[in-house]
Amino acid sequence: MAAVNFDKVVKSFGAFTAVHGLDLAIDEGEFVSLLGPSGCGKTTTLRMLAGLEFPTSGEISIGDRVVNDLAPGERDIAMVFQSYALYPHMTVAQNIAYPLKKRGVPKSERGAMVQKTAELLQLTELLSRKPRQLSGGQQQRVALGRALVRDPKVFLLDEPLSNLDAKLRGYMRVELVELHRRLGRTMVYVTHDQLEAMTMSDRIAVMEGGRLQQFAPPTEVYRAPANRFVAGFIGTPAMNLIDGEIRQSGGTWQFHAPGLTLDCPPLLDSARPGPACLGIRPEGVVFGSGPIEGVVQVVEQTGHENIVVARIGADMRLTGRVGAERVWQAGETVRCGIDIDRAHIFAAGAAGERLNRPGLRPVEAPAVIKAAR
Amino acid sequence: MIRRVAFNLFAWGIVLAVAFPLFWMLVTSVKPQFELFRRPPTFLPETWTLEHYIRLIQDTPFLTYFKNSIILSTATTLVVVAISTLGAYSLVRFKYRGRESLAFLVLFTYLLPSVVLIIPLYLMLVSMGLSNTIFSLVIAYTTFALPYALWLLRSFMAGIPEDLESAALVDGASRMGAFVDVILPQLLPGIISTALFTFILSWNEYLYALVLVNSDSARPLTTGVMNMLVSSFNIEWSLLMAASVMMSVPLIIVFAFLQSYLTRGFGAGGVKG
Ligand SMILES: Nc1ncnc2c1ncn2[C@@H]1O[C@H](COP(=O)(O)OP(=O)(O)OP(=O)(O)O)[C@@H](O)[C@H]1O
Ligand SMILES: [Mg+2]
Repeated sequence: MAAVNFDKVVKSFGAFTAVHGLDLAIDEGEFVSLLGPSGCGKTTTLRMLAGLEFPTSGEISIGDRVVNDLAPGERDIAMVFQSYALYPHMTVAQNIAYPLKKRGVPKSERGAMVQKTAELLQLTELLSRKPRQLSGGQQQRVALGRALVRDPKVFLLDEPLSNLDAKLRGYMRVELVELHRRLGRTMVYVTHDQLEAMTMSDRIAVMEGGRLQQFAPPTEVYRAPANRFVAGFIGTPAMNLIDGEIRQSGGTWQFHAPGLTLDCPPLLDSARPGPACLGIRPEGVVFGSGPIEGVVQVVEQTGHENIVVARIGADMRLTGRVGAERVWQAGETVRCGIDIDRAHIFAAGAAGERLNRPGLRPVEAPAVIKAAR
Repeated sequence: MIRRVAFNLFAWGIVLAVAFPLFWMLVTSVKPQFELFRRPPTFLPETWTLEHYIRLIQDTPFLTYFKNSIILSTATTLVVVAISTLGAYSLVRFKYRGRESLAFLVLFTYLLPSVVLIIPLYLMLVSMGLSNTIFSLVIAYTTFALPYALWLLRSFMAGIPEDLESAALVDGASRMGAFVDVILPQLLPGIISTALFTFILSWNEYLYALVLVNSDSARPLTTGVMNMLVSSFNIEWSLLMAASVMMSVPLIIVFAFLQSYLTRGFGAGGVKG
């Protein structure tokens, strides 16, 4: 039985539909990220789960209860808002105690519970301060404290780290994962930062335009993106996407683009000849030898590796991730190749679905480090 | 340096110009009758006396008027604040058709000169059997204080992040609970500004009081004092000045109490909550 279940949930604001028929089953104790670009409906989805927004149609359940008609307070959830939404006129202690107070926990017990939460989040010294006397990171911890002080069925977090500086964000990421491991509670985490989603989640729900694109563990989302959108969205630098055409001659499939002809990786039976798109991650591009000739345009040195962008023909660009030993110069002519075992083929169009069979060969770990897992 | 001095002199000049009539009012009210019209006038009274105040309280219905004014202004303030707070909440938080037009319509009534509304309002109150009561004035003042109050509070309300309320709902509060626990404290500066505005408006209003009420038992201070002290033949200057001082006192007290809230409220807009 799923801890959280969305069943064909639709949300429209007037004529505009923000969420289209969402089906999502989240397991008990799972850490799930809702990932997608700005405006794709992540917050709307989370707010529907919280009861702050009513679905236009469809059913949402938490545990074995359908919660469509339950008020937010009756759903046994806790939520951390992107803006933190700390009550400005209350002290830190009062903020953390508020959910307890509203649920009728006697005053005598509240103090100890607040104290325990404050210790967990290192807020003990700050308990008597007002939110405006706190730094961003401290406010964030208070918001977290207000959620953690109870033991709800599901935690909802809406981009809780987006207002923090890079260093603190890295730190809090590890803290949150640690917290999730310790509490073992179901967490739904909204983010537009793929690094956060990749490093923290058990599964990622990639959304775009109000539609679920893929719901899978991070490695699978990275190695076997379900469609062209996911392929282009996940990974930095982004996957190279080359528009062309697939043709079948005899038993073999070939991919054709201007100045480029390749044998396809094994395709699904549903593949038909016609316009298609080849996707190859920068680490699947070989620089220094190969059938394609290009001119180096940009070189980004990160220290342990170089990101090289080469121009192929008139208007095609190929980004490669190469070792730091050899420094490429802009303007240099370079031969490059594509590791076909790592290539993906997608149907034409912005959301064209995947046409090749997923990863037959084990691929090296994605460049995004799986911190703290 | 010179510019600063010049600026200070200028500022003090304005302050004195504003304060002098008040000072003269105060001084006149404590001068004995015989000193009042002496020429040249005495700047400070040679003899101080409270006889005008005593006469005012003992021999005239001043205290009745005063009581009426207090009841009237307090009641109007309570009604206006209650309605405009809830109204502003609705205008800002609930989504319904015609919400914006409703707000503009309300403001439009505020743009009409109140003189235009006085006859219809009078007829309405008479037909409701409310003429000549304090309550009729409460209704009348509410009609023209409410639009402004609603707009004032609407802008204060719009400044309160919706997430605060959502957070309270998730934390287990009912809608009313969230309103009381979270919205009201945030709205306090706005409520105080509104209350002050309404109180002053109803305390000083003259025209409606003149038209709608002409029995002594229901008259407020403005018309009451005029009625008893100013006739076509004679103006009782010393009593009038004493009455004016006593009329100003409640406003000064209210201001003194709320001033810190007010400045805090205006300052609070700049601070990120
Ligand atoms: N109350 C509303 N009325 C009308 N449209 C809305 C409302 N709330 C959200 N939308 C629209 O729904 C879409 C999804 O919004 P949502 O806030 O869920 O995006 P998001 O994925 O959380 O984006 P972000 O990363 O910027 O927070 C957006 O196009 C937004 O304009
Ligand atoms: Mg959002």
